[in-house]
Amino acid sequence: MHMKTPFRLDDHPRRPQPPLASPPAGYFDQLPRQIMARVQPEATSESVTWGWLTNLSRPLRTALASAVVLGGFSTAFYLSQPTIQTPNLPPTTALATVPDAALIEYLAVNNQLETEDLASLPLPDDNLMAYFLQASPQELEAALGPPTLDEAYY
Amino acid sequence: MEDQEILLKFQDPAARNVAFNQLVRKYQQKVYWHVRKMVVDHNDADDLTQDTFVKVWNHLGNFRQDASLYTWIYRIATNECLSFLQSKRRKFFLPLNDVGAELAAKIEADPLLAGHEIERKLQKAILRLPDKQRLVFNLKYYDDMTYEQMADVTGTSVGALKASYHHAVKKIEQYVTEESSAD
Repeated sequence: MHMKTPFRLDDHPRRPQPPLASPPAGYFDQLPRQIMARVQPEATSESVTWGWLTNLSRPLRTALASAVVLGGFSTAFYLSQPTIQTPNLPPTTALATVPDAALIEYLAVNNQLETEDLASLPLPDDNLMAYFLQASPQELEAALGPPTLDEAYY
Repeated sequence: MEDQEILLKFQDPAARNVAFNQLVRKYQQKVYWHVRKMVVDHNDADDLTQDTFVKVWNHLGNFRQDASLYTWIYRIATNECLSFLQSKRRKFFLPLNDVGAELAAKIEADPLLAGHEIERKLQKAILRLPDKQRLVFNLKYYDDMTYEQMADVTGTSVGALKASYHHAVKKIEQYVTEESSAD
């Protein structure tokens, strides 16, 4: 069994640093260059691009940030709206530009007229009616029959 | 070049890069070895040395000259080391002793220590110390700093530093003695 020989740090030869493996050769020649490369881009971009921001006071910077955020929201809102094209042509001319095939297709699909559609029609021209029907008043009365009670009120 | 001259030059935008380059050349070895003693591995020491000088660059404009530039840079390097060791533990969920064991394994593998058993045991004993106590030991034993300078670096009182160093020496002596008698 070994006897304990107390180790005393003061008796141990003192080294300026622990005996660790040295860094690679030329390391301390390259290190300043590597560090300068790391700080240079930051320094350049900061001073040229954003350096002026650091010169602004804090309230101004806050106001600027709010304005930028608001501007961003406004732009996003504007861009999200569907583009509304306001026609410059009168309705009849605009309708004339629609191809017949498209009109026929529209009418084939939307062939049921609503009361509102009828209300928007211009008042019938008596002559036009007579032209289309080609019938005398007596013939029309005979065809339609006597008016009902409800119809008499209108 | 004197620190004052470097600081004056650094204030001048035209001379800033030159001044900083001189500062790096003046302190790089001290910072590197200070960091290396704490983290042992060269690559980690390289990263931390670079990070330290990047922080020095970023904050040198605000440096108040109530401390010396030398201890101020040491303080930044020390904080970098302690944060690194702490994050390493947190990252790998390691208990306190495991990082010490990992560092000790690196010492074990170091060819420079082959055949120097007492020196190897001494280094392992130092690595078993808690980070802050190891830092205090390194600053006193290797860097030969005064307690006042150490107080500037660590932000701890001189009395506390003296007690910490004393306890560190006792722990180291005990460990090396026990390891030697076990052989």
